[in-house]
Amino acid sequence: MLFLRLWNYIRGYVIIFVEGYFLEKFINMCIHRQIFLWDIKKQNNSAMLLKVSIKGFKLLRPIARKTRCRVRITKKRGLPFVINRYRRRKTFAVGAIVCIILLYVLTSFVWVVEIEGYETIDVQVLTDKLESLGVKPGVLKYGIDTDKVVNEMMLSIRELAWIGITVKGTKVKVSVEEAIKPPELIPKDVPCDIVAAKDGIIKTIIAKNGREMVKPGDTVVKGQLLISGEIPNKNDPTKTRLVHAIGMVNARTWYEERCKVNTVLIEKERTGTVETNYSLVLLTKQIDLFHKDVDFEDYEKVEVRKGISLGEDFVLPFGIIIQKFHEVRKVEREISLEEAKQLAASSAHKDVLARIPSTAQIVDTRTEFKQNEDGTIEAVVIVECIEDIGVTRKIGG
Amino acid sequence: MPSKKMRKSKEEKAKPREKIRRKIAEALELPKDVTLNVPRLTMIGTSNLIIENYKGIIEYERDKIRVNTSIGIISITGEGMIIREITSEDIMVEGEINSLIFMK
Repeated sequence: MLFLRLWNYIRGYVIIFVEGYFLEKFINMCIHRQIFLWDIKKQNNSAMLLKVSIKGFKLLRPIARKTRCRVRITKKRGLPFVINRYRRRKTFAVGAIVCIILLYVLTSFVWVVEIEGYETIDVQVLTDKLESLGVKPGVLKYGIDTDKVVNEMMLSIRELAWIGITVKGTKVKVSVEEAIKPPELIPKDVPCDIVAAKDGIIKTIIAKNGREMVKPGDTVVKGQLLISGEIPNKNDPTKTRLVHAIGMVNARTWYEERCKVNTVLIEKERTGTVETNYSLVLLTKQIDLFHKDVDFEDYEKVEVRKGISLGEDFVLPFGIIIQKFHEVRKVEREISLEEAKQLAASSAHKDVLARIPSTAQIVDTRTEFKQNEDGTIEAVVIVECIEDIGVTRKIGG
Repeated sequence: MPSKKMRKSKEEKAKPREKIRRKIAEALELPKDVTLNVPRLTMIGTSNLIIENYKGIIEYERDKIRVNTSIGIISITGEGMIIREITSEDIMVEGEINSLIFMK
């Protein structure tokens, strides 16, 4: 039914008022002449309202004359009438065309460059390099040769393992994969020692090649020789054989971190007073609209950027920036001893975990608290780990 | 008149053809409205009535509609009835239908 209604709307139809005494005959004749009628509503004894297509209406005249009915249009509906109404409005047509062209032109530029996947590489380096290669907001998207840009990027930034550039709508999506730096390896045929990378107590030592210099239970300091690549000749003690030492040295290591927490916390609280500034973004320029000076002593700034986009990928170069300045005031809050301890411990714990390498195995975690005279609580977190502390070092190097 | 003669000969021809058609239709168990030239009435509740294979409408008022078919006149009474759609094959009546009377 919906489809039929839509079809009728597209074709256009009229609602007519038929008046006469042979209305049934009128309907029958219409049917006989293949004129499609619908929504026939009797108004009174001698009149009815009905809908008929434009084409059908033109064929009604002779039937109306034969059945002596008077036909009058009450409403015109459908697309043909709408088009007809706008046919004479030239400016409207021009405006519509200009709008379409403008939309097309605006969507053929790049307005957003999105970079994802970076971790250690500075984004600025990437954006600068991309900019120099012609990938930046405001350039024609057809002018970007992605293959060339990819090649150039790979050649100029060595930390990249892979880079992919796709132009989607008005967005350029750049995804990068960073190369993991390979550890500096000493070639197998170059003699070397294994030394301690950090302080610790040896737990196990297994030398696959070379001579063990320490025993389990020994305390070693950073840089101490663990497995020597120098093997003395049994027959002639003055001569030694040099080998590339290989082995595993597991040792207990400790990591310690402290954190002080004051039992009186200073927190910022919003007073509720808000100043709002609006800016318009047009192309790549930012236009401030009636900016007021913010005379708050202390405030928090919240910036919301709203862009106009068609779908997800067709970002248009217009938008507004809403800056909200929330006035804040400092509020002192006293927390309980338990709370302070917990805060300090979790903070210290987080710090210490950040320092422990991922290969280390955590064996024990201890937390101690100290209460200082100035009212602060100090948490000391000591983590005991077992890890391989051996690193290779060239003999004589 | 040649045209009348033509029609007559056509009718004569159509009769045995109709017989054969009916027999085939019965053998194949085809629906009767297709073969026997009788109207098919479809009602949806009491608000919708579709009459297929009708001949013409005789009377149309808001509370009474009479439709001519090959099996006689079908008289529909109800309230606020409108003809939603009408083509040479079917007529669709919408409104509160109270009764259907078949007058032979």
